[in-house]
Amino acid sequence: MFKKLFNPDSIAVIGASHDPQKIGYVVLKNLISHNYNGNVYPINPKGGEILGFKVYADLNDIPNVDLSVITLPAKLTVKVFDTVAKKSKFIIPIAGGFGELGEEGKNKEKYLLNTAKKHGARVIGPNTVGIFVPFSGVNTALIVPERSRFPEEGDLAFITQSGALGLLTMDYFAMYGVGFSAFVNLGNRVDVNENELLRYFGADEKSKGIIMYIESFYDGREFMNIAKEVSKKKPIVILKAGRTTRGGKAASLHTGALGGNDAVADGAFKQCGVVRAYNEIELVDYGRALAHGMPIYGKRIAVVTSAGGVGVVTTDYIESQLHGVNMQMAELSKETKRKIKEEIVPFASAENPVDMTAQASDNDYDGVLEALNRDPGVDAILVYALFQTPLISEKLVDIITKWARNGDKPIVVGIIGSDFALKMFHKFEKNSVPVYPTIERSVKALRILYERGKALRRVI
Amino acid sequence: MNEYEAKELLLKYEIAVPPNFVVESEDMLKNMKLEYPLVAKVLSDKILHKSDVGGVITGIRSREEALKAFKKIHNKFNTPVLFEEMISDGVELIVGVLRDHSFGHAIMFGLGGIFTEIYKDVTFRVLPINRIDAEDMLRDIKGRKILEGFRGIEVNKEAIINLLLKISKMVGEENIDGMDINPVMARRDGCVVLDAKIIK
Repeated sequence: MFKKLFNPDSIAVIGASHDPQKIGYVVLKNLISHNYNGNVYPINPKGGEILGFKVYADLNDIPNVDLSVITLPAKLTVKVFDTVAKKSKFIIPIAGGFGELGEEGKNKEKYLLNTAKKHGARVIGPNTVGIFVPFSGVNTALIVPERSRFPEEGDLAFITQSGALGLLTMDYFAMYGVGFSAFVNLGNRVDVNENELLRYFGADEKSKGIIMYIESFYDGREFMNIAKEVSKKKPIVILKAGRTTRGGKAASLHTGALGGNDAVADGAFKQCGVVRAYNEIELVDYGRALAHGMPIYGKRIAVVTSAGGVGVVTTDYIESQLHGVNMQMAELSKETKRKIKEEIVPFASAENPVDMTAQASDNDYDGVLEALNRDPGVDAILVYALFQTPLISEKLVDIITKWARNGDKPIVVGIIGSDFALKMFHKFEKNSVPVYPTIERSVKALRILYERGKALRRVI
Repeated sequence: MNEYEAKELLLKYEIAVPPNFVVESEDMLKNMKLEYPLVAKVLSDKILHKSDVGGVITGIRSREEALKAFKKIHNKFNTPVLFEEMISDGVELIVGVLRDHSFGHAIMFGLGGIFTEIYKDVTFRVLPINRIDAEDMLRDIKGRKILEGFRGIEVNKEAIINLLLKISKMVGEENIDGMDINPVMARRDGCVVLDAKIIK
């Protein structure tokens, strides 16, 4: 349905510009820097050449295209829209100045929608940063490349109602090597809405998880129906912001007053297996945990560390209800403890958390993970890969990855540290092993995998 | 819809309410066959918060007291008076329905009384709900331990689940905009709705 939007054979840029400060220039620049290899048709009455592309003076001079990006202001967007709609399968009008400005803008939006419908084109936006698709190289977002980073190709699909929050979040996670299958900013949502995209990404093989930032639902009931189906196969995480405003007769009732915030949305998410995030970090963290990790079917966690304090704080976070996730430290079997003792130095701890001390080696980790993998009293393992001690090498990444991929127990990895740690973090991320840079975020990933286990077991 | 009509609608869906009797004039009192103690309430679809305006009299133990209560309420509001057998034991629950602007009808469940007023310990689901949703709702609230029984009070959880499912069915079949049933008394032998406000 949206295949040619995310992977277009041809793109027209209406409002292409020679001025590097203008979006009509940046979009062309983005296409080059992301190695887009389809046909590009910049349109500008002045003609000439921009960044090596031949510029067409008139839309009528180019063949039909899969995607048109309109980088003109609202007024001009409206003016050219009929011709653009005739020529295109998909249209992204970038400009603001539509429905968000009131009645007149709303009328402009109606015109866009009706014109698109007349010609059978679909519209993303307006008032949008558009889309970013690493695998096809399509990128319509206006940000300064010298001061920000776009993520690489990955397996998270990102649908957002806020373009800026979406781009900032991706910029942050690009630092950790987190990749995305596609990014879509809904903008004013005159035509394409989150429900259609959710259905599309639900069936998209490149997307293993779907994350959404939503302020208001286009159609909450339809969302629930689609999410119920999609979440059986693929995790959906939502950062839902904004309170629903309630009025009407029922506001005089207790129920009306108590439903005043988004308590109803909260219930709806539980009914359709959607995981809720409360900020942009959780949104991506949870998406990665669920896309890459195994669901956890019990509360008993085994922790492996080479730093005692990390184990103690982790234990608190796992077990505490107030500042933690209300899970349990696993009671290790006698047999497990015996095997662990064989691996570790005499003064290390074979109790849970398993503290191998700074004397730990790569092979010790292998043996301990093997023992924990066999213990029926362990539902999941949180292993800290701490590269600051002498006997640990980069090989630890391969050892933990092996157990994450081939072992029976869900594994979450915690990494703490700076440049080298970050390098190792990237390796785990490449291997699709759920990895987190703090104790708290590692433990919260466990909890979310446990919630997923519960949701999958529940008949949804 | 006044309280009597609301309760008739609940009865249609086999949701229990205390035995009641509507009195419009003094001489109707002699036909009342309720067991004391009773509660008398102003019966009007205009008055949502009856006790705030002095429209509720509790602890009525005789025909004389009933007559006094009738006169007091009837003279004040010029409405019929709803007499009901008083039930005061059990765990207070609140169940409600609202129409959310993005999700449509939703049901609320929580512990009543101060748990609702102060802790706002309630949970919502979009209607209709199934049995698993209803069970989840009971587990969702922070005060869930109270439903396991406390201070010698036993609660029939199965009856609460059935109540939620019956409300779900009712909202699917009737034209209801919003609803508060508060409190519902959850007891060993089932749930009884003590007060009901339904807005069509």
